[in-house]
Amino acid sequence: MSTAAQEFLRKAVIKSADLEHRATIQRAVTSYDAAVAKGKLRFADWEAARTLCAAIKADAIANLAQYLTEFEQHVTSRGGHVHWAENAEQANDYVVEVAKARNVKTVVKSKSMVTEEIHLAAALQKIGVTVWETDLGEFIVQLRNEPPYHIVTPAMHLSRYQIADLFRDKLGENVEDADPVRLVAAARVALRRAFFSAEMGISGANFLVADSGMVAISTNEGNGRLTTSIPRIHVVVTGIEKIIPRMSDLAALWPVLATSGTGQPITTYSTLVRGPRTASEPDGPEEFHVVLVDNGRTGLLANPETEEVLKCIRCGACLNICPIFKQVGGHTYGTIYPGPIGSIYTPRTAGLSEWGHLSYACSLCTACKGVCPVKIDLPKQLLGTRRDFIAAGNVKPAERVGFAAFRWAAADPARFRLLAWMGRKALAAVNALGLSGTALDPMRVWTKYRSPMTLPKQSFREWWRENGNK
Amino acid sequence: METSKSSARENILARIRAANARPHPAPPPVAPLDAIFPPITNPRQRFLDECAGNLTEVFQTTDAAASAEALETILSTVPAGQVYVQDDASLFPFVALLEQWRRVRMSSQGAPAESTQATLTLAHGFVAQTGSVLTSSACGGRGASIVPPCHIVYGRGEQIVPNIAAALARVQAEIPGASYVGLITGSSRTADIEKILVQGAHGPRRLVIILEG
Repeated sequence: MSTAAQEFLRKAVIKSADLEHRATIQRAVTSYDAAVAKGKLRFADWEAARTLCAAIKADAIANLAQYLTEFEQHVTSRGGHVHWAENAEQANDYVVEVAKARNVKTVVKSKSMVTEEIHLAAALQKIGVTVWETDLGEFIVQLRNEPPYHIVTPAMHLSRYQIADLFRDKLGENVEDADPVRLVAAARVALRRAFFSAEMGISGANFLVADSGMVAISTNEGNGRLTTSIPRIHVVVTGIEKIIPRMSDLAALWPVLATSGTGQPITTYSTLVRGPRTASEPDGPEEFHVVLVDNGRTGLLANPETEEVLKCIRCGACLNICPIFKQVGGHTYGTIYPGPIGSIYTPRTAGLSEWGHLSYACSLCTACKGVCPVKIDLPKQLLGTRRDFIAAGNVKPAERVGFAAFRWAAADPARFRLLAWMGRKALAAVNALGLSGTALDPMRVWTKYRSPMTLPKQSFREWWRENGNK
Repeated sequence: METSKSSARENILARIRAANARPHPAPPPVAPLDAIFPPITNPRQRFLDECAGNLTEVFQTTDAAASAEALETILSTVPAGQVYVQDDASLFPFVALLEQWRRVRMSSQGAPAESTQATLTLAHGFVAQTGSVLTSSACGGRGASIVPPCHIVYGRGEQIVPNIAAALARVQAEIPGASYVGLITGSSRTADIEKILVQGAHGPRRLVIILEG
């Protein structure tokens, strides 16, 4: 078992028994569910909306090279720079070079999962640049030296009391009664200073619009707006799969993303930027860079079975509905992208043998498939990941023996009878010796947290012989 | 650096082209937007309802005099401090009025200061479907709609368009030059702490529209 797999199991045990954590997540998800249910009522046909968004993203993926070069051409023609990065190192090197060349001391960041994926903040801090996360949730987890818990709500796992304690320790702010309004005000004061002293703003992108060279960024707090308006350099760091063909596609994608992400009709600031300030504009950055990151994405595209994963718009709906996510929490996965999408994305891009175990962090309930706004068949993807994980040789010895025995027994009624008889005897012995749930119990994985399985008096075959004809 | 840059570009594009050389399944039939969103029969009423829902304040006025009066009412609730105004002839009558009470900075003089208390700008349109304001860097720059605690938008009832699709069409037709375009729907907010909604996270706590005619 990989170290990551052992860590997953260790943390999962702790988190699923953490009642405070469970209550916090339950509260957040209940509130999310109610908002989304209400949000969907604003559509005449939510299913048709999902189909349309899936088709837009499928078109984008099928014609990726054409749309990316079209986007690049628009950005370059307006004086922006487009940089292509095959991996995290190339992306970080470029941003670090720009920061060095322009003597950047302070960077403000709005939320971007891609910058988390490539560890950009650490690369900048290494050359002495101060990096401020400005999304409130990201700011909170940054103060705690934690990765984001969730791709949309990074501090979902914390109660306001924990946040009040954090602000007292790290910001020296005493917030009475952990009042959320005052907590937000305290963060606003700290981050305003950062916005107005930073030389560089780094944002992600929700969509890159090919036909007009626009970068679409959705934020509610307005931190994305300040990041892209105040500092003299704006750098967009994003994945190549964020491209969409036309600006008009946003008429469907914006409401669908907002509804799936938070239940809102549209995000408060649905922003489009396409370059540095023009001569006639009073403000805005003088420099505009877009870093297009591959980092494994073309690998997903190369496999016809996994290319649909690139349709993902990172709304977080599959996390919020996942019964596993709600039990074990976002940090247990040990990945940048947690939940169902992360359990597909991570093994496929960061290594099947190291991360393939995540495809088993799933009960195959298929709820995620039902909520995905771009209709990614997540359960099918998880099963495919399992298959390839096993095919790559990641089989536990006990499973190999167990399945070999089953294959042998299932081929012949007499053998099946024999195996079933042995199983009943073994279970009876384990129960009689009081070994259920101990290290000597072959069924320990099941019985560790459950009462012993009781053995019926008869096997089904015996019962059927007596009662089947009645 | 330049060589590696161009080779990264070529490598990525080559991998994409190689992958996409295989045939892709035909896309499923899709419904038009008219079938996805319910029809909007009364755009003005819908716009007002949506604004009420997203906590945008709307002052409906009949003429310039009434708008000036509304502006005075709004300003009376804004703390002392500078007001930033988009440098546009249609706002000049208000500037004369504002200068009686406030220091005024025009967008032609540069970016708004961090301490700006309110801004007054125009908009390219209003969206009935979502109660949004269509703005851009041509409306007094980027900071005007995000830096101050209060953003006041002056516009006309006939600028209301039914939906986002119509607003996006307007962007392509009317503001091809702006480096920033945005749909602003309500004031800055966050629900990052226990999913509790708080107004005025990083941007304006108040979005106020003076809707004339």
